[in-house]
Amino acid sequence: MPDDQTLAETLARRGVSRRTFLKFCATMASLMAMPPAMAAQMAEKLARAKRQSVIWLSFQECTGCTESITRSHSPTIESLIFDAISLDYHHTLQAASGTAAEAARQHAMKNNYGKYLLVVDGSVPTKDGGVYSTIAGVSNVDMLVETAKGAAAIIAVGTCAAYGGIPKANPNPTGAVAVSDIIADKPIINVPGCPPIPVVMTGVIAHVLTLDTIPELDELGRPKVFFGDTIHDRCYRRPFYDQGKFAKSFDDEGARNGWCLFELGCKGPTTHNACATTKWNGGVSFPIESGHGCLGCSEPDFWDAGSFYTALSMPADPVKYTAAAALAGAAVGVAMSFASRAKKADAKAAHRTATLADLKK
Amino acid sequence: MNELQFLTWVRGPGFNIAIGIFILGVLWRLFEIYSLGRKLDLAVPRRRPGASGFHTVWRRSLAPPGMLKRSPVSYIGGYIFHVGLAIVVFLFGPHIKLIESLLGLSWPGLPSQIIDAVTVVTLAAMVVVLVDRINKPVKRFLSTFEDYFTWALTFLPVLTGYLAVKHLLLPYTTLLALHILSVELLLIAIPFTKLFHAITVFASRWYNGDIHGRKGVAV
Amino acid sequence: MNDLKGIPIAIAGVCDGLALSGNAGPVLHEVRSLLNDLVTSGKSASIDLRSLPLLPGDYEKLKVVLGQGEVSATLEALGVTHVRETAIHGVWWVTHYNSDATIIAEFIEVTTMPEILRTHPADARAGLDLLQSRLTPAIETGRGDGDA
Repeated sequence: MPDDQTLAETLARRGVSRRTFLKFCATMASLMAMPPAMAAQMAEKLARAKRQSVIWLSFQECTGCTESITRSHSPTIESLIFDAISLDYHHTLQAASGTAAEAARQHAMKNNYGKYLLVVDGSVPTKDGGVYSTIAGVSNVDMLVETAKGAAAIIAVGTCAAYGGIPKANPNPTGAVAVSDIIADKPIINVPGCPPIPVVMTGVIAHVLTLDTIPELDELGRPKVFFGDTIHDRCYRRPFYDQGKFAKSFDDEGARNGWCLFELGCKGPTTHNACATTKWNGGVSFPIESGHGCLGCSEPDFWDAGSFYTALSMPADPVKYTAAAALAGAAVGVAMSFASRAKKADAKAAHRTATLADLKK
Repeated sequence: MNELQFLTWVRGPGFNIAIGIFILGVLWRLFEIYSLGRKLDLAVPRRRPGASGFHTVWRRSLAPPGMLKRSPVSYIGGYIFHVGLAIVVFLFGPHIKLIESLLGLSWPGLPSQIIDAVTVVTLAAMVVVLVDRINKPVKRFLSTFEDYFTWALTFLPVLTGYLAVKHLLLPYTTLLALHILSVELLLIAIPFTKLFHAITVFASRWYNGDIHGRKGVAV
Repeated sequence: MNDLKGIPIAIAGVCDGLALSGNAGPVLHEVRSLLNDLVTSGKSASIDLRSLPLLPGDYEKLKVVLGQGEVSATLEALGVTHVRETAIHGVWWVTHYNSDATIIAEFIEVTTMPEILRTHPADARAGLDLLQSRLTPAIETGRGDGDA
């Protein structure tokens, strides 16, 4: 498939019509809360776009993000995005391996210098010179720095790439950091989640391809259209929270009636993601709808934010130091009582009895 | 530090520090007070031993004759915000859940709508007593930094708690973290300020009543 | 996956099948204002129904007030898309389904012709080429292709 053809031409050859295209863009615009009128513009732009070179680097990760994006609920729609890009390097998906694979990356970087899109999943280990994760003998840090140089923009896919994720969890043995901790001079779009919602990943890529801009980001670098609201804001169980109706266990009457899971440790109120609206597995449900609280996987350090089953209003961990504090308090109290008794004794000793003569003075 | 890390800190290390200082301070003060070494009063109490103490515990919960009319704001406002605080602190579901996780004790709470209403009334009453304190020359003269400081430490947890539950003003994560932080500051301040009355109120009333019961002072 | 819809999950107190959120009225007024724009300035517009918190009762109300017109079209493009004109001329109801027959987007379009039904000029050009190529063998014996 020659790279100088427009997307419309490429797709037409494969039997994808322009109406299909328009429908895809209408769906995307709806999903991204854009005015419906944007759909036609997006479709025009996308149709005329040359295929965008994309280099996908997988670092310290579990491949869950790739699993997620390749298992999109309606493959026909999301796969359009894969037709819209030229995925020049993705060591899980590409056919080439070894030297040939690395050559493909070098080739793509050289040919599209300054224009290619860099997608990263996985965190970057930095401890001990980054030896904990290497590809073709190159540490992740070095590969990221080298590849980021010619990138137009970086999409950090998954909580690991966006914020360090599970590899960074206490005690962070590999010194894992986020992409944004290493690269400072390129626009970075964070698409966190463990894994991220497929349609959110494709939506962000579609946005960059069709509008040639970076979507509006929140202070944690996430696109506001998908991460602007908390799960709690959009949760269908929210009315129960407002009424104070909570499930107390996973199998009580409240749980069976679909009441709020806050007390069972749901992190929905502090988690920004689109699960409650886009849902998972073809719109079937999302964790809360399946009866389990939100883990908060799209937030930094979610793994260290206390037990998944402890309510947000409760201490994250069992309380420590109380016995020591009690002992210390008692000790200080006893010491103070000795001090005050000593003071009293001193006062008594210094006391002189007043005589009639004293009073007459 | 982002807002979730802030929340995780106040729910973890911050909470541990606050509870630690609170327990240390309370035990320190209690040991200190109870070991002052008062002399045994050998005078015969006018009523049954202890009766004057219990009577005073009760009587001082009521306004002395005529005082309700002379300073209605202090008394009515005071009643409202103290009762309101007790209801909000001890009968709100998530608070009971917290106490249960710490002490294993649990009791039924009130519906959140009632808690919401009580919270608003409590906040209003606290503002009214503060304005009264500032407006009345005598009260203002008697007020020190500690009075305003402890007022703020008591007011902030109620305010931030209300805003967090109602999802107002700031993101929930930030507000919940601020709420917990403000409670932690309050916990730390309780042993070392006049807020210690929350712990000693009934013991000190009983003690005063008991002394008076042996001295001919009306109780 | 559609079998999952068969599992009865009742959400007590939220929606009893035809609950109204009160949002149908404002949507209808918005449609009226957009239709007024179409009449006066010829400007098309659309409303994304999925971006609004509408309950089943709201949909019912919209359908009752707008009614069913005489045009109805079905497209097969990555799943079915239904386009139908409501009884209010110039107001169209467009529903996109994916290949699993789940609704993925739904719009009320206020226009003389929904964009998705219109033939794109580039497609028309491609159509011309195609027809040309189909006719060419038949007239090959006659004379050379005019604009080849």
